[in-house]
Amino acid sequence: MYNINDKLKEKVEDLNQALRVKYRDIFELDKGQLRDFINKHIGQIKKMDKLDRAQLSLYQSKGGIVGVDGSVNKVGGAYPHFIEIYQAMAKCTNRREDPVVLADIYSPLYIEEEEMEEDDDLFQNKRDVKLATLEVEAAIESVKRHKPYAILMDGGLIRYNIDAHDSWLELRGLCEERGTIIVGVIKDIKTSIIGDMIRELDGKINSTIYDREILFGLLDYGEMVLVKDEANKKGPQGYASVFLRSSLAPTVIGMDIIDSQRDKLEEMAQLVFTLTPENSRGVPLWLDIVDKEVLISDELIRSLLEQYMDRGLYERFFISERDKRN
Amino acid sequence: MKVVGITTQQEVFVGSKERNFRINEFLIIEDPYQGSLLGEVVEAKTFNRYIPLNIYGDFVDSSVLESLKALGYNIDEDTIYIAKIRLLNEALYPIQTGSDVRLPQFLEVKDLMIKSRVDEGLVLGIIKNTDDLAKDMDDEFKDLLHTFEEGDLLEQRDIPYILDIKSMHHYPHIGVFGGSGSGKSFGLRVILEELMRLNIPTIVLDPHFEMDFSQPASYLDDEAIDFKNRFKCLQVGTHVGVKFEDLTAQDLKNLLSAASNLTDSMSNVVDILFKPKDSYYSFYNRMQMLTEAQEEGSLDRIENRINNAADPEERRAWMERKELFISYDKTCPYNSVRGIIWRLRRLENDGVFSKDIREIEDGLQNGKLIVIQGNTRILQVFSTYLLNNLYHKRREYKDALYKKTEADYFPPFIIVTDEAHNFAPKAYESPSKSIIKEISQEGRKYGVFLILATQRPTLLDETITAQLNTKLIFRTVRASDIQTIQEETDLTMEECRRLPYLRTGDVFISSADMGRTIFARIRAALTTSPHTLNPFDELKSKFKEDDEDFLKLIMDKLPINDIELAQLALEIEQEAKITYTVNQLEEKLNKLVEKKHIKKEETIFGFRYNI
Ligand SMILES: Nc1ncnc2c1ncn2[C@@H]1O[C@H](COP(=O)(O)OP(=O)(O)OP(=O)(O)O)[C@@H](O)[C@H]1O
Ligand SMILES: [Mg+2]
Repeated sequence: MYNINDKLKEKVEDLNQALRVKYRDIFELDKGQLRDFINKHIGQIKKMDKLDRAQLSLYQSKGGIVGVDGSVNKVGGAYPHFIEIYQAMAKCTNRREDPVVLADIYSPLYIEEEEMEEDDDLFQNKRDVKLATLEVEAAIESVKRHKPYAILMDGGLIRYNIDAHDSWLELRGLCEERGTIIVGVIKDIKTSIIGDMIRELDGKINSTIYDREILFGLLDYGEMVLVKDEANKKGPQGYASVFLRSSLAPTVIGMDIIDSQRDKLEEMAQLVFTLTPENSRGVPLWLDIVDKEVLISDELIRSLLEQYMDRGLYERFFISERDKRN
Repeated sequence: MKVVGITTQQEVFVGSKERNFRINEFLIIEDPYQGSLLGEVVEAKTFNRYIPLNIYGDFVDSSVLESLKALGYNIDEDTIYIAKIRLLNEALYPIQTGSDVRLPQFLEVKDLMIKSRVDEGLVLGIIKNTDDLAKDMDDEFKDLLHTFEEGDLLEQRDIPYILDIKSMHHYPHIGVFGGSGSGKSFGLRVILEELMRLNIPTIVLDPHFEMDFSQPASYLDDEAIDFKNRFKCLQVGTHVGVKFEDLTAQDLKNLLSAASNLTDSMSNVVDILFKPKDSYYSFYNRMQMLTEAQEEGSLDRIENRINNAADPEERRAWMERKELFISYDKTCPYNSVRGIIWRLRRLENDGVFSKDIREIEDGLQNGKLIVIQGNTRILQVFSTYLLNNLYHKRREYKDALYKKTEADYFPPFIIVTDEAHNFAPKAYESPSKSIIKEISQEGRKYGVFLILATQRPTLLDETITAQLNTKLIFRTVRASDIQTIQEETDLTMEECRRLPYLRTGDVFISSADMGRTIFARIRAALTTSPHTLNPFDELKSKFKEDDEDFLKLIMDKLPINDIELAQLALEIEQEAKITYTVNQLEEKLNKLVEKKHIKKEETIFGFRYNI
C-alpha cells in the first residue's frame, strides 16, 4: 500500500476546513437568493439563444470570425539558460489557408547586459508582454488582411490594455474605425465583482471571494449576466463584460468588449454560446482549433534549434542536465 | 502525398491532406536515394485532430460543427489521410521520411497486375481500387466486362483481373472458399463462362442444379454471348450413367461404397462374386441365387429342393443354386451378400446403370462444358466412377504418347465442383476423395485440373487443400474457417481480419504465380441461375395469382350480402366447378377487403361486400 504522509493528510484537512469557514456565508445563501442578488445588483440573468444558420451565414458574408491565440515553448534549463519561443496566430473562418502567424523568440542570454534581470516576476512580465504584443499584432494584421466581422481574442481585452498598451490602442482604433467587433473570451475569470458587491452591501464577508467561485453551478446552461457598469466600478474604465455558462460544465466563462461596441456584447455572447460544444469546458471550438494550431510541439522546436544552431552553442547553453538524462 | 513517421525497409506510412487512400491500391515512393519503389496500401486511416475524442474527452456536437461551417469553416477539410504501405520488394535501407509519393502509371504496374492475354485467360473481374491506374491502360484491357453493384450494372473502370489459366500447368488447381451468400456460386458461374469462352473441356458436378447457362442475366440487354452450344446439362440416371459391363471389380466397389463404406467382408463378396463382363442382371442373379441357397441353410435341404422340384426348370435353378452354395457359401457370408444386393438395387433404382458416359466423353472431346446434375449422394457415386474413368483415359493417352504406342486422343480437362467438402471430406475416407486426391497430386502431369468450391475449407481434405495453388477467398465469418485460410494461404493478418466484412462478390485471390494477394471483384455474370427467384417473391406472386383468380370469380356478383354466401358458394360451384364452404368464402372475401381490393360495408341487413 502507498502510504500518504500523515502531515500531508492533516494539511489537506486544514485547507478543507479553512475553505469551509471562508465560504460558509456564501454556501449558506441558497441559489435563489444569490440569483436574486445578482439580478438586482450585478446585472440581469438572461437566457441566451443559439444563433441560427442565417445569422451565421450573414457573419460569414461579412468577413467571418477570427480567433486569436498564442503559444509559448521553453527549451533549456533554469535562468538564464533557456530560450522561449512565442507564436501568435489569427485565423479566420473564411480563410482556412491564410492565417496570420507571427513569431518571436527570447533568451535572457541574448538581451544586452544592462537589461539583464534575474527577477522572476519581471521575467514573467516580459513573457506576458511579448506574448500579448504578438497576439495583438497578429490581430491587427488580421483586421487588415481578413477584414472579419468579429475577432475573438483568447483572453480578456484588459490584459492587452495592460501588457501591450501601444499596440492595443492601435488595434482598438482600427476596429472602431472599421466596425470590426472585438471581444475577449476569458476561460479563467479572475474578477470578484459579485463578492465585492456582497461585501459592500452586506458587510458579512470580509475576504475576497471570486466570481468563479460564486457563479460555479449558479447559472443554468445558456444563461448569461451582463454586468452593469455600477457593479464594475473597480474595473478599468472603457470595457463592458458578461458572464456566461456556455456548456454543460458548471463553470462560467467571461467575455469583455470595448465600450464603444457594448451593444454588441449580447450578440457576441450568443455567438460564443453557439460555437461551444455542450460537453466542453465552455470554450468556443473555434478558439480551441486556433489554440491547437498555434501550438508547436517541443520536439519540433528542439529539432529547429538543432538544425539552425551550432551544435556546440546549443549544447553549451541550452541543454539542461535533466534533458541529458533522457 | 509524403512518407511520414518512422519507416522500415518493408513498411512506411504515407500521409495526405487531399487524397483518401484505399486498401490494396498501389503507390510509388520516390526515395531520393533508392529511386522509385512500388508499394501497396495495406491499411488506410483518416484522422481529424479537431474531431477526435480528445477535445476534453467528448465528441463535439454536430450543431457546433454545422455552425462553424455556416461561418465558412468546414472542419472536414482538416481531415488527414494516412496509409500504411507495404513495399512489394524490400528496400535496401529504410525509406527516407519525407519522400514524395505518387500514383503509378499503368505501365509501371502492368506486369504485376496482368499476367495473361484476354484471349488466353479467364477474365474474372476487376482488381479493386485500380481506377486511377486504369486511365492510361491499353485499350485491349478496357471495356471487357461489367460489374454489378448494389443493383446497378457498372462499366469497367478498373484494371481487369485475368486469371492466367496457362499457369495452371505449373501451379495447378483452384480453391474457391467463402461463407453462405458470399458469392462463391456466382464466382464459379463466371469462371465457367470463361472456360466456355475459351472452349476448355470441363466437367462440373452440380448438386444444386444451378449451373445452367441458357438464361441471360436479367441486367444485361442482349450483349450476352450465347452459351447454348458450349455446355450441356446431363442428369445422372436420365442422360448419363454407368455402363455396368465396363466396370471392374474396383469400380464396382467404389460405386457401392460411395454412400457409405463397405465392410471388408462385403468388399470380399464383390471380389469373389463379380466376374468381368458381368451384366447387372448376371451379377445380381448370382447373388440372389446364392442367398436363396443360403436361406435353405444346408446342402441336404437344397438336395431336397432339387428332388422335389415341380418342373425341370425349377430343378435346374436349384441345381445352379447348389453349385453357387458349394463354391461360395464359406467365403461369402449371407449378410454381406444381402448388403451388396441392397446397395446394388438402390443404385439401379436411381438409374445409375441405365445409361453410359458416352455423351460426356463426346462433349469433352468437343471442348464443351458438361454439367453433371444429381443429388449429392448420386453425384458422389457417379463422380467416383466418372472421374476415375476420364482421368485414366487421359492418363493412358499421355502415357501412350510417352511410350510412343498407339492410343485414342483424350483431351486435358478441368473438374469443377461446388460443396467440394462432400466429395473430398477431411474426416473420413470416401472413394470420390481418393480419385480427387490422386488428381490433386498428379493431375498436373496429365493436364487434369481441379476447381473446388466449398463453404467449409476446414472440412476439406488437407492434402487436397494444400495442392490448390490458387485460392479465391470470399467473405468468411466462421472463425475456424478463417483460421484454416490463414494457414493455407498467404493472406496477411490484416487481410484475414477483413474477411468477415467483405462485400458479396469481393474476393481475395491468392495465387502462387502472382506471388501476392489480389483484391478483386467478380464481374457480372452473363447468365443467371435458373432458380434465382426470391422465395418470398415467389410466395407473394403466388398469393397474388390466387387473389386475382378469386376476384375474377366474384367480380360480377358484387355487391354480396353476407347472408347470401351459401347461395354464392352454390353459384361458383356450378359455374367454375370450384367448391368453397361458406367459411372459406368469407375468409377469402375478408382477405380481399384487407388488401383493399373490395370494401366491406355495414347495412341494416348485416355486412355487404362491394366494389
Ligand atoms: N460478383 C457479384 N456481383 C454481383 N452480385 C453478386 C456477386 N456475387 C454474388 N452476387 C449475388 O449474391 C447472391 C449470393 O451469391 P452466391 O449464390 O454466389 O452465394 P454463395 O457463396 O454460393 O452462397 P452459398 O454458399 O449459400 O451457396 C447471388 O444471388 C448473387 O446475385
Ligand atoms: Mg452457392
